[in-house]
Amino acid sequence: MAAGVLTRVKQALRGPRLAAAVFSCHGQTLSSAAAAVHSPAAPTIETDATDKILNFPLTQPDYFRLSELFSIKDLFDARVHLGHKKGCRHALMEPYLFGCRLDMDIIDLEQTVDHLQQALNFTAHVAFRGGVVLFVSRRRQFAHLVETTARDCGEYAHTRYWKGGLLTNAPVQYSPGVRLPDLIVFLSTLNNVFQEHVGIRDAAKMNIPTVGIVDSNCNPSLITYPVPGNDDTPAAMEMYCRLFKMTIKRAKDKRRQMELLKGI
Amino acid sequence: MAGSRLEKFGTVYTRVRDLLRAGVLKPEEKPIWYDVYAAFPPKREPLYQKPRRPKVPAADPVPQLFYKEDEIRAKFFEVYGNGPKAFELLKPNFISSCQKFVMKYSELESRGDIKPELLFEETAKALLSEGIYLRKRGGPVQVAPESRDPLLSMKLTDMLAEQQKDKDTETNIPEKQPEAETLNPDSQTS
Repeated sequence: MAAGVLTRVKQALRGPRLAAAVFSCHGQTLSSAAAAVHSPAAPTIETDATDKILNFPLTQPDYFRLSELFSIKDLFDARVHLGHKKGCRHALMEPYLFGCRLDMDIIDLEQTVDHLQQALNFTAHVAFRGGVVLFVSRRRQFAHLVETTARDCGEYAHTRYWKGGLLTNAPVQYSPGVRLPDLIVFLSTLNNVFQEHVGIRDAAKMNIPTVGIVDSNCNPSLITYPVPGNDDTPAAMEMYCRLFKMTIKRAKDKRRQMELLKGI
Repeated sequence: MAGSRLEKFGTVYTRVRDLLRAGVLKPEEKPIWYDVYAAFPPKREPLYQKPRRPKVPAADPVPQLFYKEDEIRAKFFEVYGNGPKAFELLKPNFISSCQKFVMKYSELESRGDIKPELLFEETAKALLSEGIYLRKRGGPVQVAPESRDPLLSMKLTDMLAEQQKDKDTETNIPEKQPEAETLNPDSQTS
């Protein structure tokens, strides 16, 4: 399909990124054999600076100041706390629920704030280190929103039918040196028939961490950083997309800034 | 790059850690996210949990949310139905007529000078004075008596009985028929 070109892009080379990196990225995994060859064995000063750039942010609890991007009130106004009916409830989501009001599950926003903070922090650090992020959502209502979000922050999105061996058989379906995403963000963990999205299991198989918005009818067990929240309301989805976009942009800008400083 | 595809055993992190420890993955092949995960682990380890058969638990683990005002609300909806004002859910600080009722009720209750049995009626009266007219549900239909067509209250069985009686007496037949003719179009349009 025509849209496949836009959405399902797995580049063998992340050209602009790698070219911009002055120093060799020690921490990066370049599974692609065709990736650019970096200057090997950089001098000690370079490695110290690289270490500082890579390791120092990990010592700070909120290096990118992501807690100022959202508050509990914003989550409430975006109707993130609204879950599905009691009959739709997934047993594993019970710890994340605040209560049940007249058979309608209410998600505990205090827990959501913590989880969302962790998820955004992880995303920011991965993007800071030059990781590839893939946004996945099988909700047709928000497919365009997710795709534009991914395009705006320079990452990738997959909002169409997930073919069987997309991750598990990537060298055959794409090309032998394909680089898989370093993080997959599920803006809705269910597919169109209300079953768990295959991508969650596939990501776990390929040792790719996942961040996922889990509603009260979703299974949060295999997701690395689940975020309990509503995934049906447009207001909530727009908020999530905005938050992830801002996080990734912040992380990338910070990285560019650090590289320039190091260049000086 | 070597990997481990056993998603049901351990977490993503433990599998990569063990691969690195065993030397299957070289240090330069360490994934980007590995150090980030080590520095900021999630609240719960993303272990695979088998889908348990949903046994009916003795107590519902998720608490039901009820408030003290719900008793007032229940009575309000029972007596007055949905209330005169429609719910505007897009407004964040919207106060419905039911909520106004609850607020007035609590206010009068805290004043303490009214007996509890009369509190409901007093609240309705207080709201009426403020300009909110609450209509009782299932009450008389609000139609003025003079607008009702008097012909509608005539029953066909009574008319036929009357017609039968008149036929026996054989005096009013010519008067009855035009009346019956005018009645039918009315009953069709009504």
